[in-house]
Amino acid sequence: MTTTLQTLLEVPPGFRSDAVGRFMWQLDEQRRRLLADTRELSVEALAWQPAPGMNSIGMLLAHIAYAESHLTQVGLEGKPTSDTKAAIGISEEEEGMPLVEGAAPSPALAGRDLTWFDQRLARARNHTREVALALSDADLLREVRRQRPDGTQRVFNVGWVLYHLLEHEAGHHGQINLLRHLQRVSGFVGP
Amino acid sequence: MPTVEREVLVMPTGFASREAASFIAQLDDQSARLRDDTRGLTPEALAWQPAPGMNTIGMLLAHNAIVEAFWTQVGPLGLQKPYEVMSVLGIGMDDDGMPIPEDGEPPATLRGKDLAFYDDLLARARVYAREAASKLTDADLEREIVRTRRDGVIHETTMRWVLYHMVEHFAGHYGQINLLTHQYRLVGTRV
Repeated sequence: MTTTLQTLLEVPPGFRSDAVGRFMWQLDEQRRRLLADTRELSVEALAWQPAPGMNSIGMLLAHIAYAESHLTQVGLEGKPTSDTKAAIGISEEEEGMPLVEGAAPSPALAGRDLTWFDQRLARARNHTREVALALSDADLLREVRRQRPDGTQRVFNVGWVLYHLLEHEAGHHGQINLLRHLQRVSGFVGP
Repeated sequence: MPTVEREVLVMPTGFASREAASFIAQLDDQSARLRDDTRGLTPEALAWQPAPGMNTIGMLLAHNAIVEAFWTQVGPLGLQKPYEVMSVLGIGMDDDGMPIPEDGEPPATLRGKDLAFYDDLLARARVYAREAASKLTDADLEREIVRTRRDGVIHETTMRWVLYHMVEHFAGHYGQINLLTHQYRLVGTRV
C-alpha cells in the first residue's frame, strides 16, 4: 500500500492576514514535529547534559517556550516588557540560558517531566495564536524599538518577529534531535 | 550615540513575488548568521565527530547546500528525476555522507576541506535558489507538487511549502552546527 504525505501549507481559518496565518501554520508544523520527536523522554533524559555548561533538552524546551512568550508580548503585542512567569510559569532566570561555563542545568527545571514542558509550550503557543489572529498585513511592517540594559537599541518589525519565532524553534529543535542522538551513542540509558 | 541593531528582513530586488522574495530574505538572514558563527573553524573542527556515526559540522554545511539545490530543482525549477547537484555545486547528491551509517566516519569526499570550500558550496546553492525563486509569481506559490520519495512515499506539497522547508531545514541544521561548535570548543573529544 502506498503512503501519501501531504504538506500543503494552508492558511488556517480566522486570521485577519493570510501572511500571518501562513506563519502560524509553519509554527504549528514545527511544533507538531518537535512534540513527535520528544515523546517518551524521561525526566533524566530531559535533564541530561553532554558536558557541564551545555544545554539539556529540558532547558531547550523551556527556552523555546520562554522566548515565544517573551517575543509575543514585546514583539507582536508591543508591550514594553514581558511577564513570562505569569503567562507560562517560567521567568528568564528560571529558563537558565545562557548557561554559565561548567554549570549544571537551571535548578528551576530539576525533576520536571515532559508534561510540564509540554504545558509551557502549549501556553506560549495559545497566546501567540490569540495575538496573531488579529494582526493585519500592515502590522507586519510595524517597527518595535527596545533598549537593552547595555544601552543598545534594538529595532525590529512584526514580520521579523514571526520569522524569528520560526527559525528559533527550528534551530533549537535541531539541537534537541542532536542531543537525543548523543544520548544514544554515549550509552545514556534512562530508567 | 547608542548602537542600533536593526533586525528586519531585507527583501532582495528583482523578484516577481514579494512572498518568494521573503523566503529568500529569510534564507539570507540565516546564511549571514551562520557565516558569523562559523568564522575561524579549522578543517579539524569541521571534520570533528562527537562520536562515530555522528555528523560533523562540515557534513551539515555540505548537506545544507545540497538540500537547497535539490529543493530548488524540485520546486522553483520544476525539474523531474533524476535530480543532480554536481553541475551546481561541484559535489554530488550523496557527498555529504548523510545519513551517516551507525559508527560511520565522515565521507572521504569532505576530508581535509576548509571553510572556504563550504562557503563556496553554500554560496553556489544560494545563487541557484535565488535565481530560480526570483521568477516565481504569487500564483506559482499555490502550485501543487507531487513526487515519490526514495522510500516510496508519495509527497504531495506546494511550492510555498518547498520554500518554507528550505528555510526551516537550514535553520535546524544551523542550530546543530552551533551545538557542535560549542561542544568542540568545550570538549574536543568524543563522548
